[in-house]
Amino acid sequence: MSDATAEFFAALAERGHVPFLYRANGTVCIELSHGRRAEAWRVTVSKGDVSVARGRGPADCVVRGQRALFERLVTGQANAVVALLRGDLTLEGDYNLGVLFQRLFPGSSRRRRPRGTAGYARRRT
Amino acid sequence: MSDGIVKILDGNTFVVSDESGDIEASLDDPTGLFSFDTRFLSTWVLTVNGERLNPLSVDDLQYFETRFFLVPGTGTVYIDAKLSVIRRREVGVGFHEELTILNHSEKPVRLTVRVDAGSDFADLFEVKDALQKKGKYSSEVRNGQLRLRYDRAEFRRETVVSSSARARVDTGGLTFTCRIEPHGEWTTDLDVVPTVGALAGATQLRAGRRQSMQRNLERWLTAAPRVECEWEPLKQIYNRSLVDLAALRFSPPIAGGRSLPAAGLPWFMTMFGRDSIFTSLQALPFTPELAATTLLALGDWQGTRLDDFRDEDPGRILHEMRYGEMTAFEERPHSPYYGCADATPLYVVLLDEYERWTGDRKLVRDLEYEARAALNWIDEYADLQGTGYVWYRRRNEKTGLENQCWKDSWDSISFRDGRLPGFPRATCELQGYAYDAKVRGARLARLVWKDPDLADRLEREAADLKRRFNRDYWVEDDEYFALALDPDGNQVDALASNNGHLLWSGIVDKSKAKAVARHLLGRRLFSGWGVRTLAEGEARYNPIGYHVGTVWPFDNSFVAWGLRRYGFKEEAAEIAEGILEAAVFFDGRLPEAFGGYERSQTKYPVQYPTACSPQAWSTGAPLLFLRTMLGLEPHGDHLTVDPALARGIGHLELLDIPGRWGRVDAFGRGRVDVERMRRARR
Repeated sequence: MSDATAEFFAALAERGHVPFLYRANGTVCIELSHGRRAEAWRVTVSKGDVSVARGRGPADCVVRGQRALFERLVTGQANAVVALLRGDLTLEGDYNLGVLFQRLFPGSSRRRRPRGTAGYARRRT
Repeated sequence: MSDGIVKILDGNTFVVSDESGDIEASLDDPTGLFSFDTRFLSTWVLTVNGERLNPLSVDDLQYFETRFFLVPGTGTVYIDAKLSVIRRREVGVGFHEELTILNHSEKPVRLTVRVDAGSDFADLFEVKDALQKKGKYSSEVRNGQLRLRYDRAEFRRETVVSSSARARVDTGGLTFTCRIEPHGEWTTDLDVVPTVGALAGATQLRAGRRQSMQRNLERWLTAAPRVECEWEPLKQIYNRSLVDLAALRFSPPIAGGRSLPAAGLPWFMTMFGRDSIFTSLQALPFTPELAATTLLALGDWQGTRLDDFRDEDPGRILHEMRYGEMTAFEERPHSPYYGCADATPLYVVLLDEYERWTGDRKLVRDLEYEARAALNWIDEYADLQGTGYVWYRRRNEKTGLENQCWKDSWDSISFRDGRLPGFPRATCELQGYAYDAKVRGARLARLVWKDPDLADRLEREAADLKRRFNRDYWVEDDEYFALALDPDGNQVDALASNNGHLLWSGIVDKSKAKAVARHLLGRRLFSGWGVRTLAEGEARYNPIGYHVGTVWPFDNSFVAWGLRRYGFKEEAAEIAEGILEAAVFFDGRLPEAFGGYERSQTKYPVQYPTACSPQAWSTGAPLLFLRTMLGLEPHGDHLTVDPALARGIGHLELLDIPGRWGRVDAFGRGRVDVERMRRARR
């Protein structure tokens, strides 16, 4: 079984800071089911600093869905908003946190960014 | 009430019915109860003893509440006045209807009251384009309630109909049997509640709705500045705008209960980047909180990745968000769709203008990342040709938008001779917005983000953009700016209202402004009511063509702002006078667009056939005209006033204007002789 999910959370923990989450505050718990097995991840955000933990725990927002779907979300093959509208993913608690969190998923395009300039986005300290 | 259609709404939930309160929708007809872009009720018909009812009158109590007075018998001749029926309906989560029947006779009556109910669960896109459904319908009666349901895979939408009085419920509706004493009455509450499956958590039921909505509206009206004016219609237009703007406020499930302006009823009760930003700009001097919410909500959804289906790029501000079935199954890209090229620079423009009015630097600090990412998008993702301009070309070839500027219909961008340019296209106003975003971004960088290097760089880039733009877009022989550049860099040389937006952005060289203003008020563009989207004489000009000849009140409000920016006060006053005079013909509610016919020819403005109404940025137009007529401009912690208004307006007062100065009043007197100006130009 591929494990893009574990890789996604490992990369997120490694990243440690995500500037567009600056205004998010709280914990998102992702509960994934796979047949009779279940796994859970918690992502806590504070001023853009991100930490990841395994297992259930107190959360401001709970996302539930199939593990297979989540594999597709973290590899850009499926879209989280569509999954939510369709009922394949459910969201409980702080919706804003959920919206900000889904922006971490990659896009579907294989295209690289068109031009490489230095850009203005700078990491917030 | 025009064409017998009664609308009431609350956020993205609204009901459209006939004048008796009945709904009998066909697939392509926009009547019904809509919520989250889905029709939850397409049949809702009341009968008494098997007879339909006849409307005596309709009271629009508030935008969220209507009362229908009815009598039995649909004939126009015979009316049985022994019974009357009152339906009071209010929209909240779904709708609530209080049905009352009065017996006016001296004998008791026995009645069979029936409400037929049904739903086709059409996606708003399906209603717009008359498409067929792919899922499964079912209905059942459970616990005295009627449940109508639609399933397609995990996607589920449900409508629950219930009543307070005892009813015989079947899968097609509710039947009541009642006896009413002489001069007595019978009443029941009917509730229609839509549920949106997994989104349920997003639609929090708000208790005590009516009272809170009433109080909310009163607070909204009290908080806004007051208008006193010798020309009576202006007060009515202003109040209409405030109430409509209140109605168009929309709390997307992801805005934490905050509200921002949705685009328009009935098709556009959703978050639109462009419309929400333009409306927030228009309303800044009146209700600055709309701008704050718009900035936060659009910031929450700012693009972070490349996604071809949604035309998403990092830093890009969304175009349109939808919640219906076609979006859920990726038959439409609105989850959200990002294909617009102006909302991103305009996002920075709004952030700066908001700070200038309110002094709220905290928000500017909180949105530093978003503003930088938006500025970055202009150079890194929008310059598709590597020529230093903002270009657009959709990556979603099937369901994406061809024209990603505000004139987004297929034929809006053309050469004088009617040819359409290829893609990508770089329309002129986009360059103006990009210029303004850089200038304003530089101000914020220096003032709030304390990054002088970024400020210097943005100012250098803005100056360079302005220099190139005035060279590359200027149509020498006729002295105006071309509508766009085509992929080969040729001028798309039609004359259009976009020139006014260029004045607003500040990108126009001072030496060229006079010629531009002359065109805007000239015979080819100015109809007497307002500036046409496309000039008379261009091959594609059509006075009732959506973006090729009609007059858009929103467009004109920004043209007037642009004229003021370059010192053409009287010209701005003339445009304000024209559009406000037109508003009188629409009972104070400006439509999305009206015909570009010469004012002297038709004497009244001709409404564009399928225009949305109320539409947010038309609703905002009178507000922006008040600003431009009074010449309101923040300077540091002060508000300066420099009025220039048409003589017919007389004395004008705008009281309690909120801002960083607390509250101040502005006064003006009409001195601009519009008639003389018009004669002088002939």
